[in-house]
Amino acid sequence: MLFPTVTFAVFFLIVLPVSWALMPHQRAWRVWILLASYVFYAWWDWHFVFLLGASTVVNHVLAVAIHRASGVRRRKGMLALALAFDLGMLGYFKYANFFLSSVDNAIGTSWIAQVALPVGISFFTFMAISYVIDTYRGQLVPASFARFAVFQAFFPHLVAGPIVRASELLPQLESPRDPRRVNLSRAFVLIVSGLFLKVVIANHLAVHIVDEVFAAPNQHSSLEVLLAVYGYAVQIFADFCGYTNIAIGIALLLGFEFPQNFASPYAAVSLQDFWRRWHMTLSRWLRDYLYIPLGGNRKGRILTYRNLMLTFVLGGLWHGAAWTFIVWGAIHGVGLSVERLIGWRPSSRAGEWLGRLVTFHVVCFAWIFFRADSFGSAGQVIVRLADAWGRPSPLVTTSVVLAILTGLLAQFVRPSAAAAFIGGFGRLPVAAKAVTVAVCLMLINTLGPVGVAPFIYFRF
Amino acid sequence: MRAFFATAAGRGIVVLFVGLGLAGLLEAEGLRKQAQIQQPGIERDIALGVTRPLVRVSRALHLTTPRHELQAAIGRSGEDNIDSTVHLSQPPLPPPAGPTHRPRPPKHRRGKPAKPVYTAARPLHVWVAGDSLAQVPGDGLQRLTVASIDVVGVESRLSTGLARPDLYNWYTRFNQVIAHVKPQVAVLSFGADDAHDYMAGVPAGRTVGAFGTPSWIAEYRRRVDGVTRELNAAGIRTIWLGLPIPDGPGFKRSFPVVNAILQSVARKHSKLSSYVDTWHLLDSAHGTYTPYLRVHGKLTLMRLPDGVHYTPAAGDLIAQAVLEQLRGYYTLR
Repeated sequence: MLFPTVTFAVFFLIVLPVSWALMPHQRAWRVWILLASYVFYAWWDWHFVFLLGASTVVNHVLAVAIHRASGVRRRKGMLALALAFDLGMLGYFKYANFFLSSVDNAIGTSWIAQVALPVGISFFTFMAISYVIDTYRGQLVPASFARFAVFQAFFPHLVAGPIVRASELLPQLESPRDPRRVNLSRAFVLIVSGLFLKVVIANHLAVHIVDEVFAAPNQHSSLEVLLAVYGYAVQIFADFCGYTNIAIGIALLLGFEFPQNFASPYAAVSLQDFWRRWHMTLSRWLRDYLYIPLGGNRKGRILTYRNLMLTFVLGGLWHGAAWTFIVWGAIHGVGLSVERLIGWRPSSRAGEWLGRLVTFHVVCFAWIFFRADSFGSAGQVIVRLADAWGRPSPLVTTSVVLAILTGLLAQFVRPSAAAAFIGGFGRLPVAAKAVTVAVCLMLINTLGPVGVAPFIYFRF
Repeated sequence: MRAFFATAAGRGIVVLFVGLGLAGLLEAEGLRKQAQIQQPGIERDIALGVTRPLVRVSRALHLTTPRHELQAAIGRSGEDNIDSTVHLSQPPLPPPAGPTHRPRPPKHRRGKPAKPVYTAARPLHVWVAGDSLAQVPGDGLQRLTVASIDVVGVESRLSTGLARPDLYNWYTRFNQVIAHVKPQVAVLSFGADDAHDYMAGVPAGRTVGAFGTPSWIAEYRRRVDGVTRELNAAGIRTIWLGLPIPDGPGFKRSFPVVNAILQSVARKHSKLSSYVDTWHLLDSAHGTYTPYLRVHGKLTLMRLPDGVHYTPAAGDLIAQAVLEQLRGYYTLR
């Protein structure tokens, strides 16, 4: 079930009032929200509901076993078992095709079968891993099975995040949410802005320039290729940030707070700054469960660079089993190492703008590998950036340029301006709020291209 | 209850219901079109049942005006109209009875006529169109490093076909392409989304049975034949891409029905049309479905997990097959 559809609107119109009606009766509420979440997930493919259920049962049983076990070896054994299950499941569904085809290529057999990728598997598996590791570290006491099941399957974050930590969501599941303390204005502003980013900006750029140029870079002028690269940078931001804005807004309406996932990433003055602003919940997950356990920056300069590279290459591999994703991660790893090596920290305003410009272009360069189907295609994009200037550029239209500029300028909206806007919306009477929401939905639906494109991050 | 609606959560529910209700009225015609173009079934029936009165109320209150004005301002007027007419000219009438002036048969020259020559300066204009299966082969054709081929457009519209002009009217589009785009070749990939029981735009007085029945086949053949005839009449060569061997029993039964129609129509108009057999291009050595094929000795993924759609590698393979056919008709320098 995709957020920007009539099906989801009907689903949510049923789920929301029933959820608040059942809120004082926590046991009934958990059953209701779990049922709603599983229906939401089953809408794609009901078979994978069993996978989600199995992940919940296994991780909960092992987390409880870790918590109860007294000996260190036994606790470690249980943790290893949980990690083997989670990473094994993730590895099978995400990488089986890649490895089996590599083996077949190596030994000349043809016994592979194609494995379908369940939607959102990375997201709910990462949440389960953090739950088990936090339990092992003694930072968490396992919740009841029902609470953990809701934590993992809660539909607003289920298929594309944000990756919510157990310590953030489980306490909110301990007691009924207070209907007086719902930040209504922020919820609606997030939902409407998310829909605008996805339907108008991301879909428009995908349809009108990005997909066409990346499908056949050699058929396009340098200007078109350049705008397609900038366009993709804006598209992936608008697509993913749009999704998480809607997810956070929906959770707010249900009475729950999710962590922020984006904070104007293209306004970053360095790559380090970028990763504090881009997909923040994944960044901190990689930091806490991979970079720091590897040693972080505590074991000398060389090992710090190694850890950075490993973290980002594995982060790249997380997106898919392809060398292009590994190169994307490596570019960021190298960039971060270089920044650390030269001690880059802009101190003046001019330095900040220079940092922004360089960072944005390094990020865009890395996006080429992220978006391209193959190395060959990425190479064509890069070569084409240089060798076809002055040719006709029919894809460079006012609406494409406007969409890119809107996406980039959105990065420089001050938090105070956003807060003032939310405050202004909050002061409107209920009827005016409803009319505003309706008009915004009409504008978004009319301005966006026909049809609903899936979100980019669903396949990760 | 009253106390709850005084809380933020209660007000949120009110805003959501009223806001979505009002948005439904403002968007009524768009929703109506969305409902209309769904696959037949209970969901479509419910959606049509709900949107019918919604449109009536919206029109009565003039709430459709803002959407119309906005569409006009951005050059997308008429987007909500549903045109289910199959715009095909009638087949040529039989000659009148009685003695008539009999035209002299044309003199045949000996030997094969010379193939038209296309160069980088004067390229062959190829237009690719169809459902979602058209995109990847179209991209493959664009990637071909043949300077004398210019892909003037790849128009791939999801879930469309020749059976459902109410969803997207390809017949209208073909007429526009004949008049304005004027390609020399049209590569067409249709049928994957046509394999259903329901067909829109059926001539008055005629009924069409379930998919695969003689009446369905006759009507679909009439459409494929009509499209081929119209494009050929405008001097446009048509290359029909057959449907590939799919994974899963449902499509495995339905795709051959469509392929047989495409192939027979292409054969009937063989002077200016042909057929690319993607089924056998992408099957295994045993004639079964396989997601991977060996290309230059390397096992390469050809199909997406849905068992129908192509990967770029498959697109390149199909593009090569199209190129081979083109080389048979034209000299490409």
